[in-house]
Amino acid sequence: MPMFKTAFNGYAVKFSPFLESRLAVATSQNFGIIGSGRQYVLDLTPNGFVPVCSFDTPDGLYDCTWSEENENILVSASGDGSVKLWDLAAPPMANPVSNRQEHSHEVASVDWNMVRKDSFLSSSWDDTIRLWTVDSPQSLRAFVEHSYCVYKAVWNPRHADIFASASGDCTVRIWDVRQPHSTYQIPGHEMEILSCDWNKYNEFMLVSGSVDKSIKLWDVRNPRQELTRLLGHTYAVRQVKFSPHQESLLMSCSYDMTVCLWDYRAPEDALLARLAHHTEFAVGIDMSTLVEGLLASTAWDETVFVWQQGMDPRAA
Amino acid sequence: MALRDLVMGGSGCAVPGNDGSSSSNPLGGFADSILGSASKTQERLREMPGLTGSRQQNGPQFGPTGPLTSLPGSELDSGQGSQAQVPPEFLGRFQDGDAREFVDAWNQALDRQLPPPQLPGLPRHNEVALFREFESIYGQEPGTSNVPPVFDAPPQHVLSGFLRSFVDSSRTNAPFPAVRLPELGLSHADKSRIRDRSSIMGRHIFADRGDAFADSQVNALLQSLDIEGNLRTQGPLAGQLSEFEQLWKEGYAQSTPVQQRQIGHQPLVSLPDQWANDFQSQYGPQPAPSWVDEFHNQQDGDQWAQQFQQQQGQIAARARFSHGGMGNLNAMEPTHALVQTLSQNQDPKFQNSKFLQFVSKMSRGELIVDDNQVKPGAANQLSNSWADEFQQQHTALPETWAAEFTAGEHMHRGDTWAEDFGRTRHEAVSTSDDWVDEFSKLGVRDWADEFGDQVAKGAFGDESNSSWLESYDKFVEEQVKGEQRVPQSSRFVYQFADQNPYVGHPNPLKEGQDLFRRGLLSEAVLALEAEVLKNPDNSEGWRLLGITHAENDDDRQAIASMVKARDADPSNLEVLLALGVSHTNELEQQEALRYLRGWLQHHPKYGMLVPHDVVDRLNHAEVANLFNEAAQMAPEDGDVHTVLGVLYNLSRDYDKAIASFQTALQLKPRDYSLWNKLGATQANSARSADAIYAYQEALDLKPNYVRAWSNMGIGYANQGQYEESIRYYVRALAMNPKADNAWQYLRISLSCASRPDLLDACERRDLEALQKEYPL
Repeated sequence: MPMFKTAFNGYAVKFSPFLESRLAVATSQNFGIIGSGRQYVLDLTPNGFVPVCSFDTPDGLYDCTWSEENENILVSASGDGSVKLWDLAAPPMANPVSNRQEHSHEVASVDWNMVRKDSFLSSSWDDTIRLWTVDSPQSLRAFVEHSYCVYKAVWNPRHADIFASASGDCTVRIWDVRQPHSTYQIPGHEMEILSCDWNKYNEFMLVSGSVDKSIKLWDVRNPRQELTRLLGHTYAVRQVKFSPHQESLLMSCSYDMTVCLWDYRAPEDALLARLAHHTEFAVGIDMSTLVEGLLASTAWDETVFVWQQGMDPRAA
Repeated sequence: MALRDLVMGGSGCAVPGNDGSSSSNPLGGFADSILGSASKTQERLREMPGLTGSRQQNGPQFGPTGPLTSLPGSELDSGQGSQAQVPPEFLGRFQDGDAREFVDAWNQALDRQLPPPQLPGLPRHNEVALFREFESIYGQEPGTSNVPPVFDAPPQHVLSGFLRSFVDSSRTNAPFPAVRLPELGLSHADKSRIRDRSSIMGRHIFADRGDAFADSQVNALLQSLDIEGNLRTQGPLAGQLSEFEQLWKEGYAQSTPVQQRQIGHQPLVSLPDQWANDFQSQYGPQPAPSWVDEFHNQQDGDQWAQQFQQQQGQIAARARFSHGGMGNLNAMEPTHALVQTLSQNQDPKFQNSKFLQFVSKMSRGELIVDDNQVKPGAANQLSNSWADEFQQQHTALPETWAAEFTAGEHMHRGDTWAEDFGRTRHEAVSTSDDWVDEFSKLGVRDWADEFGDQVAKGAFGDESNSSWLESYDKFVEEQVKGEQRVPQSSRFVYQFADQNPYVGHPNPLKEGQDLFRRGLLSEAVLALEAEVLKNPDNSEGWRLLGITHAENDDDRQAIASMVKARDADPSNLEVLLALGVSHTNELEQQEALRYLRGWLQHHPKYGMLVPHDVVDRLNHAEVANLFNEAAQMAPEDGDVHTVLGVLYNLSRDYDKAIASFQTALQLKPRDYSLWNKLGATQANSARSADAIYAYQEALDLKPNYVRAWSNMGIGYANQGQYEESIRYYVRALAMNPKADNAWQYLRISLSCASRPDLLDACERRDLEALQKEYPL
């Protein structure tokens, strides 16, 4: 499967929910420490990746998410605290069609609501999460409870109002946007929690990935004890993601530069595959909702890989 | 320093517009920025939210078959309108009465999901947007002031940075203090960003290093960012390595004489070919142990910390002074430790990691320079060269690397160093700025250049107060005379190149010197710029930069550099002479006399000739007499004759000037800049045929002497040989397209040569077309 070389260090890769061959890749110069950013939109063709367009930003981009209601709308999370809306159908000079500067520090993640499709979340190193809609220039509200960077905020795939957030304060919190405070706090790990995701088939099941190298699965109703723990990464776990197609399938990537696939219900060994195709920290992964088993990853080695599960990403 | 041919005196062609129309005019540049931003504001309108048009026109007609987005069991399946009134069972019991506002906001937001009416033509919406934009820029409405204008197309990056720092500064209580931008501006934010991000990212990787370590990192982070802390902090590690401390002190003792010699004992050389030797002897191969080199490297780190401090702005700096210094030291710890952690990993992947290399560079303070590289491309080159350098060190000399690391770590713990640092900080706090100088910075459109100036600010040091007064007095004086000119020293603000591949170079000074010798002047400029960015207090770096610019026929930059050099070392003879010559070129008699007299005054041999009283207005005859006395004292000193030549140029006593230069040339026949001076003087005294001979001598000695090429052009133009002059101008411009004066002369010659058809190419600075027409 093809590989794409980005100009900057990869940070996030996301499959379009509308076009099975389209991906968005958020990148940052100088490992996101200083410099500018570039948001790529790529099409997968029989001849490899073809860039559809790209947007340059003054600061690095740490994450991106596709709109669930318009195939041309894309949101990027920027290191300068801004959240940028891009419209692929608009002329280049009109982009970003909206730039929202409310976070006071780096925006670490953005996630589009799959149920209420005009809204999305951003989480930031300013310890807050903000709720946005497409039409409102200002955020609807901020969720201020975490005491350290919020690395990830992700909507529950079934409930329009529920989301989870993973923070450097070592907790995962579950929120209902109609409530003033978080509903659950899960002191999930001994160390910073960098990522979390909802199971797409079990509305109560959550996965978290931490600097403590472990991945834990949770029933959010029981914050005291994890359901299971997945060990295998040798450095901090950067991203975790549930499969949209198989209830027990998980994907993760880590500062150990590998991408792993897990089946948490596997009787013997939960680790299905460890992929070492990246040569720097692997920081971005995604699983296609349109094509079962189609996986993508990006890393600070300035590459984007797309491959079919079971194949070697490097096997062209 | 070469003497500018004074075209206005000798030629029939007047210089149109003098310098007011030049794009490097500070005020003009500022106006450009304003106009530029105004037109961008128009474009910004389309960025405002609520632009649903494109979405509705272009949005796909995707139906209920959408993927995943309509999972069975979703609450909203039943359609819009009825949802969200009843909380889902899931987590429902947590609902309480106080939450109404959130629910309302959420539901309102949902209502807005209905397509808003699309008005044909110009929608009212835009006016609202325009108003909001206005408000957000002028910050009249607090709610919108945190939406700074952001221009995201690549060409606007620079402007974006500029405007953003403007908005930032207005939020931090300064009343439209555009002049303060350098202090409160973006580069500070970028520095914070670097530290912030590297610390946070470092923590993710260091998991194994334990609590104490994590705490020291977070401590560094909190101190540098003033974040409200809820994590335990820990003071800096105490000096545990006393034996190293001793070593370090010795190292300091060994390495400082190099610099002291430079300041204390001034060699009596004013000639470019000799400074090279001079430098060779100072910076050439030294039998110093490698850790002494390391000390030099570490000095960059100090510089970084120092610069960072200076940019905090006075308020922040004072508030934090008591412990800010140590906070800085700490901030570099995480990256050091990160390097160590990563380098201990046996995985070859980690050993090859570019990130590791990047961080390694950062830990040694070499990231500072990245700070002005927010533009795409440049930093890429940067990281490459970092990588290369690291590779070299890493593969070739592993022990050195280890030693370096230890030495570096020690630097952060040594009390002596901390004291030293504290002292520097004391001096830095008093950076009260020459406001005139600041004002002229408005013209600097590139904030990266701003940064450069800031860095260079460090050079003001103790002198800042007096120079402020001096500038102010001069300013008032000129105002009284009704001249709309600011003093010479502030009319020229040094403009750094946008992208500089030498930033991050281990020894840019040496590189610049080599390039200069090889005649690659434009390259040398870049290398020397990297040097003065790294060591803004290095008078020598600035001086060489000035000389290079002068030879590259860029007076403006030459003077700006020399002023910086003077600020760094007010008694440097070469600098004083160079400034005297430059001001002579600019026909500014008082300034020129002041510098030339200063040259004599600071000269160890002739200093006693100069009376120590303060003179308000210098009299040309008096200064000339002083020099004649000096010449009688030491008739074999070519420098004195050179200065005399310059002085007589100032009084337009060309015959005497020529005689002086010829005497000097008998003493120093291979001084190409002297040949050039002679030529320029001859040209001014209507002896252009002789001038051409002198220029040719200069060019034979130094073929890449851009200034001599363009002076040659002037010489021919003075003789009415315009076609010939065009060839020389074009040749000079081919070597340095940034020589603004040469472009102006070229235009004159083109008009005089009846080639108006090429004026357009000249306006567009299309060298190719001109070279085709006028090959040399």
